[in-house]
Amino acid sequence: MNRIIVDNNLRSWLKELAEKYTLVAPVTSDGVTLFKHVKGSQVDSLDLQYSNTAVSPKGCFFPLSETMFSIGSDGVNVIAPVSTDREVVIFGIHPCDAAGIALIDRVFLAEPTDTHYKEKRDRTILIGLACNAPSPECFCPSVGGGPANPMYLDILLTQTSAGYIVQATTGKGKELTPAARMEEKDIPLPPPPHVTPVPLEGVSEMMRRNFDSPYWDRVADRCLHCNICSYVCPCCYCFDIRDYMGKDKIDRVRSWESCQSAGFTMIAGGHDPRPTKGARLRQRWYHKLLYFPELFGDIKCTGCGRCVRSCPVNIDIREIITDVQKLNV
Amino acid sequence: MIETIRNKAKEWLEKNDGGCVIGYERASDGMTARPVFIYKPYMVGSLIFDETCVHNLSKYLLNRRGLKTAIVVKPCDSRGINLLINEHQLDRESIYVIGVVCPGMKDAHFGRIEDRPLSKCRVCLHHTPAVYDVLVGEPQPETASRDYSDVARIEGISIHERNAFWKEQFERCIRCYGCRQVCAGCYCQECFVDELDPLWVGIRSGPEDNWIWNIGRAFHLSARCIGCGECERVCPVGIPLMLANRKLEKESADLFDFEPGMDAGTAPPFATFLKEETLEKVE
Amino acid sequence: MELTYEPRIVGFLCNWCSYAGADLAGTSRTNYPANIRIIRVPCSGRVDPLFIVKAFQLGADGVLVAGCHPGDCHYSDGNYHTRRRVGLLRPFLDYLGLDKARLRLEWVSASEGKRFSEVVSSFTDTLIKMGPRSS
Repeated sequence: MNRIIVDNNLRSWLKELAEKYTLVAPVTSDGVTLFKHVKGSQVDSLDLQYSNTAVSPKGCFFPLSETMFSIGSDGVNVIAPVSTDREVVIFGIHPCDAAGIALIDRVFLAEPTDTHYKEKRDRTILIGLACNAPSPECFCPSVGGGPANPMYLDILLTQTSAGYIVQATTGKGKELTPAARMEEKDIPLPPPPHVTPVPLEGVSEMMRRNFDSPYWDRVADRCLHCNICSYVCPCCYCFDIRDYMGKDKIDRVRSWESCQSAGFTMIAGGHDPRPTKGARLRQRWYHKLLYFPELFGDIKCTGCGRCVRSCPVNIDIREIITDVQKLNV
Repeated sequence: MIETIRNKAKEWLEKNDGGCVIGYERASDGMTARPVFIYKPYMVGSLIFDETCVHNLSKYLLNRRGLKTAIVVKPCDSRGINLLINEHQLDRESIYVIGVVCPGMKDAHFGRIEDRPLSKCRVCLHHTPAVYDVLVGEPQPETASRDYSDVARIEGISIHERNAFWKEQFERCIRCYGCRQVCAGCYCQECFVDELDPLWVGIRSGPEDNWIWNIGRAFHLSARCIGCGECERVCPVGIPLMLANRKLEKESADLFDFEPGMDAGTAPPFATFLKEETLEKVE
Repeated sequence: MELTYEPRIVGFLCNWCSYAGADLAGTSRTNYPANIRIIRVPCSGRVDPLFIVKAFQLGADGVLVAGCHPGDCHYSDGNYHTRRRVGLLRPFLDYLGLDKARLRLEWVSASEGKRFSEVVSSFTDTLIKMGPRSS
């Protein structure tokens, strides 16, 4: 027996949530699907069949730009950013994106905790939507996930012909489930859609052996060194901090930054430890496939396929993984 | 067609040891194209040319300044070479241009080829490369009439609507600088958004910062944009950047009677002037 | 109490002509609105379009670029270049939703104190009529 919520009830529940919480959901406009704040009135037009959004929802916790604190014109008075107590519900997040957030958690919630991230993370509830139309470039099962993986979510909804099967996995999720709007039905969970696997055996070891391979420079030949791959990625989390002078205060602002941009590792005096395109491109793959697994045990990728889809020159992580396994030491 | 490109590339590589041919190969989706760098004559077999070769490869020439390079270009991309030579960024002697007469590209994205022309190809005027050492295909006549209906549509709405339209478009900018990195005309050693002192724009993202970045980017390309449409193609959040670029293209054609990249000798409008011009259009 | 709208104008004045023109307006006790905040630049050719856009971003209601009359540039041709840049920037800003009347290019010589005052007065009047910027 599974608990089912039909589409009408789901939408009326979402409208109710929009009253009490800040509701964030995938919205398509101008042909681009992005996670956005939605009002109750927009709930009816939400498209729940979307394939992955253009940019991952990591920005809900780790915004593109955020003011960490400000200093008053006296140069002494520290002003904390205005925070809200209102809880946030992210609706319609796919399991791969939730897995991305879980990967960032490992870094930002480890001691010393990133308070800006934790504050947003603590007041957010994730209502997931099992992905029923994975793109050809997706490979979530190969990195420990799956299109209907309820892990890392508070509630997972899986679409069936009779409505959505509701699985609440956490305390927060169980509390939020709308008991009155659901009914028990003998409908089994549908089998997850097929996703083409990418064999990952021994990839970290091969990476360790091939740091100096000319392969990286060859791939970098076509790399443009834009930041698209890391900005659309659900688990890239590098940032840079700058002070902005305002009229009556100075803001310390943290913004996304990427290891692909030319100035990323530039240090005082003008030295750059990663001066070439090859070295910068290599860094991104080493962080994902070697450094992160060494530190935390898992590959820093959720198989969402965004970088594959968005890369202007087709640098494909699946191809990198396959190529590295074939490299001669 | 592709055999000619491969043969020319092979011939050139055999004569130019240490050179590199920049062309297109099949992408990992098995249907679209991606740039490829070929260093050895036996590798030319991977070269392709079809309706999915949307990329402007002339940007890559900036990474190979002074090195012997052969490049496969479409007519719009070839203007990038002229632009860069005109601005003293490249040395014509070191480049071997394999110009391809363009049949028009399809709106190709990773894993999907739409059955419609790429938006830039709908308004394309020049179907034969502006510069080449060898031409592949028969020269095609130019399209005579210009089509700025997309720009006219924006010009036609009220100033408040225009303001709201662009605000909405620029608001989604994630400042990945994909548009800048892919652009053949963007080669500043330090871009104005990366400057720290003064902090013009910096790394902060927000409606106002995005506004200044997008205006700054477009205006730096005024009377320089060759219309290859790469910025718009790569934008991960679909900002219609060509709509801004094309307004500048239209104005600079009207004001200065100039079309960028058509040759490597005409002084660009912002490097020259006419004493008697007034530049105010009658309204 | 009724609040009157006072537009803020950022004026980029060339050192050799327009700034001296503004000086002359002052020394000859010619009135002009205090709405203009003057930034002295070595030549109107020094005015990067980015300066103008940045001024608008920081809240200017109008931007005035003023230089020597054509032919009189201290550096012989700086103002011709400015004319081209501003000539293209104005329609472009208008296209993006910022009324081109908010950006003015004027020629004011060192002897035209009165003209400087007129330029600033008429620009201020125009901006008052247009009201505050919506963006």
